[in-house]
Amino acid sequence: MPELFMRMMKEEWRLHSTMFGQISFALFPVMIFGIVFMGSFLLPLMHSALPLGNITLITHAMFLVLGIMVGGFGLLGNEMMNRRFGQASFLAYSARSLPLSERFIFANFVIKDTVYYFFLWVLPFGAGYIAAAPFTETPLQRAFLLLLTLSLSFMAGLCTVFLLSSLYVRSKLALVLLGAAVGAGFFAIFLATGINPALYFPPYLLYHSFSLPGLIASCAVLAGLFIISVILFSPEQTGRTATHKDLFLPVQKRLAGLPNPPLVAKDFVDLHRSGIGIGQTLFSFVAPLIVIWFFLSLVRSYLPPHGLLFLFAMISGVIASTIYTWVTEFDNFSHYSCLPVAVSTLIGSKMTTFAILQVIPAVFISLAAAFSGEAALILPAVVLCISFSFYAAGVMAFLCGLSPSVLVYDVKVLFTYLVLDGLVFAVFSALAFANPWYALASLLLFIPALLMVKAAKRRWDTVDPTGF
Amino acid sequence: MSPVLEVADLSKAYGDVTAVDHVSLSVDEGALFGLLGPNGSGKTTMIKVLTGQIRPTGGSARVLGLDVEREGLKVRERVGIIPEQESPPSFLTAMEYLEFVGAVRKLQDIGEKAEYWFDLLEFGDKKHVLCKDLSRGTRQKLMFAQAFIHEPVLALIDEPLINFDPVMQDVVKGYLSEYVRKGKTIFLSTHILEVAEEICSSFAILHSGKLLHAGPVADLTARGTHLPEFFLSLVRKDHHA
Repeated sequence: MPELFMRMMKEEWRLHSTMFGQISFALFPVMIFGIVFMGSFLLPLMHSALPLGNITLITHAMFLVLGIMVGGFGLLGNEMMNRRFGQASFLAYSARSLPLSERFIFANFVIKDTVYYFFLWVLPFGAGYIAAAPFTETPLQRAFLLLLTLSLSFMAGLCTVFLLSSLYVRSKLALVLLGAAVGAGFFAIFLATGINPALYFPPYLLYHSFSLPGLIASCAVLAGLFIISVILFSPEQTGRTATHKDLFLPVQKRLAGLPNPPLVAKDFVDLHRSGIGIGQTLFSFVAPLIVIWFFLSLVRSYLPPHGLLFLFAMISGVIASTIYTWVTEFDNFSHYSCLPVAVSTLIGSKMTTFAILQVIPAVFISLAAAFSGEAALILPAVVLCISFSFYAAGVMAFLCGLSPSVLVYDVKVLFTYLVLDGLVFAVFSALAFANPWYALASLLLFIPALLMVKAAKRRWDTVDPTGF
Repeated sequence: MSPVLEVADLSKAYGDVTAVDHVSLSVDEGALFGLLGPNGSGKTTMIKVLTGQIRPTGGSARVLGLDVEREGLKVRERVGIIPEQESPPSFLTAMEYLEFVGAVRKLQDIGEKAEYWFDLLEFGDKKHVLCKDLSRGTRQKLMFAQAFIHEPVLALIDEPLINFDPVMQDVVKGYLSEYVRKGKTIFLSTHILEVAEEICSSFAILHSGKLLHAGPVADLTARGTHLPEFFLSLVRKDHHA
């Protein structure tokens, strides 16, 4: 176990560091540390608008969502072994020819992801807060406790997604039933106590009233989720000869009016057959946003009227922009290298696929607005979400070309992405908070989005494709 | 005959590693040209540069009169390519992949053309199986079919025989020989020397990115030597130099 685990860690490090240099990649956690260290000095200012309890609650929610998204990107449906192990993770792929069970490899893979991304994201965040504690008069033990409970939140997200994705491969019905049972449980808690169930999130409770039995119980739950997901894990059987009816031509015919219909049709056939379309929608979009909704609704009273819906729409826009990552993740340029297809053409076709898939966030925000009694504001909320999503995807295409899931860990890329998106996020949140209908101004974001995509095409056509 | 492919002082470096080092050669129309070399000698990089997939770091190359650096896309429109690793997209069936290739290349009657290839390479029973579930050999057949389905005047093919059984190798060798008889050109990269000697009209030997030799196969026959022994003596001499 330690041997395989250590080599998987090295492999993951080399995958990232060879893409943009060891120093540049090593600076990534340093940047997270720096942002949190500096941000900690703003806490007293933030207290005046939002109580500390709510800030810590949102921070725990962020790490839960981070865990969900890290897990969701890595493991999806029965395509996982081929897509992840077959191309990106060579060691895990070759380990299949060794006398090691698939479950053993999977367990190593999960632990490797947990540890690796803990050092990449969670530890630098916690360390930044701890380093700032003496200057912000935060008791050091509270800062250390925050690191512990944020780690638990992150692992809760990861383990939950691993469990759900293992279940998803085994039985979609079981997944639906489990989702319904959890939803019913939350609703029952709310009915019985009148309290938002998010307040019962164990790491958050542990942060506010630490106890050793509570910590042990939390760790036991995480271990349970991990063990069950490993037991349920069902690797894809290779060498099957099941036949499939022709989808490509009918889909291409339907898309005939769009640019690059064959490339877009191929994307949709891939999404459908791989299960990525449904899997990503569930694990990388709906699940994180439901979690965010629960937690954000706790700070509703601190937001302007309709502020919750529009803040949620902006956050949904951020997450919806990662649909560009889904559609670039399941194939690589080598599939097209023998055809007359330029990288710029491929970026254009991926953006077309992305644009069609924006129906998912549009429907989601419409439902959120309707269920929260703000149906009259569906239009500006949807416009805000989709416009921001296009803008952020344009930025991502410009910065990362066809490799957003890899290049995002380049510190220069991430910093630029955060600045470009953060400024726009701040401006349009303020506009929507001032007057919900001002959110329609976000339609202007389509202009920089289009310019970014054009620039992305020019930029990435001059770079040799790497295959990622 | 006019050259369909001309390479002048071509180099390609990946960081500190020089994969192709100041190579110059030309290939005439109607030739079945073999690019030979041990593993890591730069054959695959040559094909990638010649088809505009990657840019040279020095020198120049023209394929069918087109500059590969500036007109790589046009080169890929007009030639057929079999890449080093057979990689049809995972979730299309074999038939859908050929339909996809036909759509990208804007071919008419793609169904008929695909059927011809399923028959010739004997994998019609796999046409509705997903590419990811195909055996390595069948995937290679599919990649072979996509390279020739538009009947290009020039095909650049990287180790096209390596995953085929002897029967299929014979079919493919026959196809390639017939193809050049029609006046079309094949640029074949391989390290199977016996095959090269059997079907190629001319060849070049690369070693560590450098061109060691280029010329007609008939010259070797005239000298009373065979390609495998000539190749080995040249490469070993260069290795010790």
